[in-house]
Amino acid sequence: MGATLRALRALVLLAGFYLLGVILLAALGGADYLLYLHAPSGVAAKLYVVSVLLAIPLVRGLFMLRTPKGEELPGLPVTEAEEPELWRTVRELADAVGTRAPSRIILTADVNAAVSEDARLLGLLSGPRRLYLGLPLLQGLTEAQLRAVLAHELGHYSNADTRLAAITVRGRAQVLRTIGHFEERADNTAGRERARQEKKNAKAEAKGKQAKEIDTGHAGLTYRAMAKIYIGYAKLYFRATLAGSRRQEYAADAAAARIAGRDATASALREIPALDAAFGFYMNSYATLGAEARLLPPRGDFFGGYGQMLSARQLELVGLRTELPTEPSSPYDSHPPMADRVERVESLPADGRADEARGAALGLLTDPDRTLATLEDAVLTEDVLRFRRTGGWQELLDGSMTANLASLDTALHRALAMYIKDHPSLPALLKVIDDGQLWQLAQRLPLSDRAAEAKGRAFREFVRPALADALQGMVLAELSAHSRLSWEFSWAEPAAVRLPPAPDGTEADLGAAIAAAVADHPDTGPLRALLPPVPQGPAARETDAPR
Amino acid sequence: MTVLLWILAVLAVPTLLFGLWIAGVFLKEFFRPGPSDGDPEAAEALGLLPAERQNTKYAGPLPAGLDATLPAVRGGDWKAAAKLMQDLGRDWERRSSAAYQLAEIAAEEDDWLLAWEADRPDDPDAAVVRARSTVILAWELRGGKRAKYTTSEQFGGFHRMLERSREEIGRAAALNPDDPTPYITEIWVALGLGYPNSEMDRLWAEITARAPHHYEAHFSALQYWCAKWRGSEKLATDFAERAATAAPLGSLLTVLPLVAHFEHDQSDDGDVDRTPKMIGRVDAGLADAAAADPTHPRLPELRHLLAYYLALQDRDAAALEQFKLVDGYVNALPWRYQGDGPVMAAHYCRIRNATAQAVSAATD
Repeated sequence: MGATLRALRALVLLAGFYLLGVILLAALGGADYLLYLHAPSGVAAKLYVVSVLLAIPLVRGLFMLRTPKGEELPGLPVTEAEEPELWRTVRELADAVGTRAPSRIILTADVNAAVSEDARLLGLLSGPRRLYLGLPLLQGLTEAQLRAVLAHELGHYSNADTRLAAITVRGRAQVLRTIGHFEERADNTAGRERARQEKKNAKAEAKGKQAKEIDTGHAGLTYRAMAKIYIGYAKLYFRATLAGSRRQEYAADAAAARIAGRDATASALREIPALDAAFGFYMNSYATLGAEARLLPPRGDFFGGYGQMLSARQLELVGLRTELPTEPSSPYDSHPPMADRVERVESLPADGRADEARGAALGLLTDPDRTLATLEDAVLTEDVLRFRRTGGWQELLDGSMTANLASLDTALHRALAMYIKDHPSLPALLKVIDDGQLWQLAQRLPLSDRAAEAKGRAFREFVRPALADALQGMVLAELSAHSRLSWEFSWAEPAAVRLPPAPDGTEADLGAAIAAAVADHPDTGPLRALLPPVPQGPAARETDAPR
Repeated sequence: MTVLLWILAVLAVPTLLFGLWIAGVFLKEFFRPGPSDGDPEAAEALGLLPAERQNTKYAGPLPAGLDATLPAVRGGDWKAAAKLMQDLGRDWERRSSAAYQLAEIAAEEDDWLLAWEADRPDDPDAAVVRARSTVILAWELRGGKRAKYTTSEQFGGFHRMLERSREEIGRAAALNPDDPTPYITEIWVALGLGYPNSEMDRLWAEITARAPHHYEAHFSALQYWCAKWRGSEKLATDFAERAATAAPLGSLLTVLPLVAHFEHDQSDDGDVDRTPKMIGRVDAGLADAAAADPTHPRLPELRHLLAYYLALQDRDAAALEQFKLVDGYVNALPWRYQGDGPVMAAHYCRIRNATAQAVSAATD
């Protein structure tokens, strides 16, 4: 099949997507007409009602097809006046690819670069283009690598490789957006129903009635049924155009290699999955470290820290770069597996451009620090922006760990509260252990079936790891409450905790003390030696308090 | 309202009757003996025991002395355990067997063992029981299911215990350098932690230097060489044949080729069990059993497999002979792999009963 024929088939299929509802309606109408001609009027009348009922979701489906206006993703739009260097690069690349430059550039907070187009007339005509450019990408790539990424994205809109290719790309994007919209609407309807039932349940509970299981099975049913038909068709469409899309991806990669250099393109492809994984890790372990304590790093550091982490963890990145995913990321994804793409680019003849533009891509921005700071205002929610700003990462770590430990609530806390019918505290736990009741207490922990069935040594071995973990948490919380802990912040390693030295001046061995406390024949002595001295008195007063 | 209740009541009667009828049919089906169970009459006329009276904990009667010692140890009398081990001295075959029985108790609760260790800190007997009990506990935590049905919690405990046992095994070996038992124990660590074959060969050299034809050592090592663990069918069969040929008559190692065959048999019919080769293996096993010390603690294990394969080879009279010698205890290959307790006993009785029936039909 020639390129033109392929594109034509894609076009027909695309048209089918929009005509699906009309065709189904027409079929219903035709059936009704046949009934009118041949069936006895009594039966026909009943079947008319059925066909009208069937038509309702179809008509609704037609209205669903009005594609939502493409909303701009949250990000920081930058004008040519603000970022002349970046704009000049993008224009130059668009020229080299042979396509229109985007009319807007929006900086985002993810490891991604994308050119989107508000296509008109169901994706047949082109519209205004936007370039979404993730700032983390600029932090992790060199300038040459960034040029390769941009050339690839713009390359999708060039007609250099296949005529009508641009139409297929637009069509795909449009169909994807439409079914995405369906799924969202169906979820919303189900979500509304869930909220309604939950409210009812909450009321019932307040009155002491048994709450019903929440069931959203029927809500949004017509919607979901319609969405299913369209999604099914869309899948067919994607499967049919997949080979073509893959070819376009390879062509875009080849264009990028031509414009930005082979080595820069290959290394950019290798770099992106690694940067993506690293960014996910950074957001979890660093940027949102203070979420529970409602703390933020200093202004500009929320995203700025990513760059620091990347330089500190270069060695780990090497490992990530060499293991490339060999599977496509999703069935809708038009991109071939990364390993294939890299292999293709790397097998191109050497072009001697290995040393071009090796500076950090962030250098394309006029004032990177200011941009990193303004991006925070653009993408963080207002609630998050109201968190307290700490003076630095160390302060953020200290504050977060102290707050997290202060609100520590583990399964052991709950088991202890159930066992002693009192506030679960570390002194109470140590007393239970000293009284030889540790293993009775352990029975109250949430246990797996195997552990619950086990007896004797087997039971103790099953619960010991969880017990040791929870106890360690409680001990750290106790030390933290007495300001005896210090945390060591590092970009390269997990935060390390420092304990005060043991009374005899040696380094405290928390692990050994915990192990002794949860041994078959427990001894809390070593652990008590590490803890701050218990003030005498308050405990006694507490028991006097009226209950 | 009352009318409605009456209507409901009238409707309820047939429903209730139908329900009762269905329940009756179900119960009748449930308690009907299966057609393939074989008629127990012929077997029980010979004095063989019904399934519910079969012992599913052991393969044969406990050796003299052990039967009195184990309950005492269970009651906390560690001195009985110490005396048992001391009396066995350098009888490695019985020592490893006794260590296993004691360790099984210690894997459940080890207060008595702790008392023993506290009283005699460097007792090699206590050390070997300790190491063995930790390995048994490890396998207890893992459970008997395939890896896919085993949780990470189970694997976590399994690996923790096996790692801990290595230290204890080293200690037991150092305290009694002539004893192969610590090394035999280590085979089960090798299985669990996946020792490379080279490491297993090194371990095997330690064992054979101390006890060249040790039954339990060979049986355990054969498990390691099986395809389901760390070897293959060929490795397992070669190992079994080699050991069986090299061993003197009466050492019971003729069991190994039978086990290797059983472990890798995927067929649905009995043809593979009736080949001249298998008949030869069974004959060798019969000669071996006849020459063995009748009090050898492992002799019943060989007889169980012989009975099974003799029955499959339609040598019913010879099979019945073996069944009579082992009847009353069923925790052995091949029955053990069918399941625990009653399932194991039922499997044994089904084949035994069919054999007894065939013999009585032939003599009638």
